[in-house]
Amino acid sequence: MKTFEEKWTAWLDDKLAGAELAAFESSLPDRAAAEAEKASVRQLRLLLKRELSPSMMTNEEFFSHQLRERIALGQASTSAHGAHSPWWTVPRLLWSGAVSVAVFALCAVWVMQDAEPLEQSQSLTQVLNARLDPTVGPDATVTMFETKENRVTVLWTEGLKSLPSDYAAK
Amino acid sequence: MKRRLMIAITSIVLASGVLPAQAGLLDNVLHPFRTARRASGKSASAHAGEVVWSGLVMADNAPAPSKVPAELEKIEPTLKELFGYSHFDVIGQSRNRLVTGQEDWQAASSKHFVLHVDAQGENEGGYIINLKLVQHETTEPPSDQLVLETATKLSKRSPLVIKGPQVGGGQLLLVLVVQ
Repeated sequence: MKTFEEKWTAWLDDKLAGAELAAFESSLPDRAAAEAEKASVRQLRLLLKRELSPSMMTNEEFFSHQLRERIALGQASTSAHGAHSPWWTVPRLLWSGAVSVAVFALCAVWVMQDAEPLEQSQSLTQVLNARLDPTVGPDATVTMFETKENRVTVLWTEGLKSLPSDYAAK
Repeated sequence: MKRRLMIAITSIVLASGVLPAQAGLLDNVLHPFRTARRASGKSASAHAGEVVWSGLVMADNAPAPSKVPAELEKIEPTLKELFGYSHFDVIGQSRNRLVTGQEDWQAASSKHFVLHVDAQGENEGGYIINLKLVQHETTEPPSDQLVLETATKLSKRSPLVIKGPQVGGGQLLLVLVVQ
């Protein structure tokens, strides 16, 4: 025994026939409204069939579509690979090595330049102490310094008694 | 991956070769004083057998300057600039070979001046020497007057110049050069 809803659906789909169709139509309270609704449903069905039907691709479109998909897939895979690749790539390793060597060389040269004058000054002649006899100049003084040119170490006296020129004799 | 592994291995091999070679440089950088000691020790031992020239030099502005002695050629411009004289005449000189570094000698003498040297031995970078300039008076009786006394570390790298007393229109200089 079919329910009213089942018979209604079948009527809309034109699946009722014979005595069953006549019995159902006579049972409808408002035949005109029912027919209008049936027409409306039919139009809706046609519209849906027309609009939602799968569009068929031509061969060229199919291959083009496949190619686009492959390219998109490849790009995605490349970007994903790039995101996870290590920072120490070969060119970066080489650059880092070259920069490190350059920095080391600069530091070494800088330190060696600072160290060299110290060594030189240590190996120059140095006056450790000096004394002038008071009898040759009570106010005589002595100072020592080093000339930049030729690195001559000089012991400079002041206030010694002057002597006559015959003291220059050989 | 394979390429990176090969590069890493090559880098390690190169570093293992380069680092010992750089160790000397690094050692120099980190221990400049130790290097200086080594160098000066070598220099001090090399001093044995070196000749020390000592001279009593009269500096003046003679109208006709004579040729400067060979020992003073190198430092002549410095002497001219320091003392303001154009002529340098050696009135007494001596050459002494340092063998043990403990020699005593009468370095240079003139009629009125004597330079005594008492070597105390080698030190870092040179010889420790005591110098005495004595003024000799020819009066009766003759007498010696100490003018100046100094202890000096004499190095081959730099000559020693001592300004003595004014003599007439010139200046007495004492010069010691390790040759």
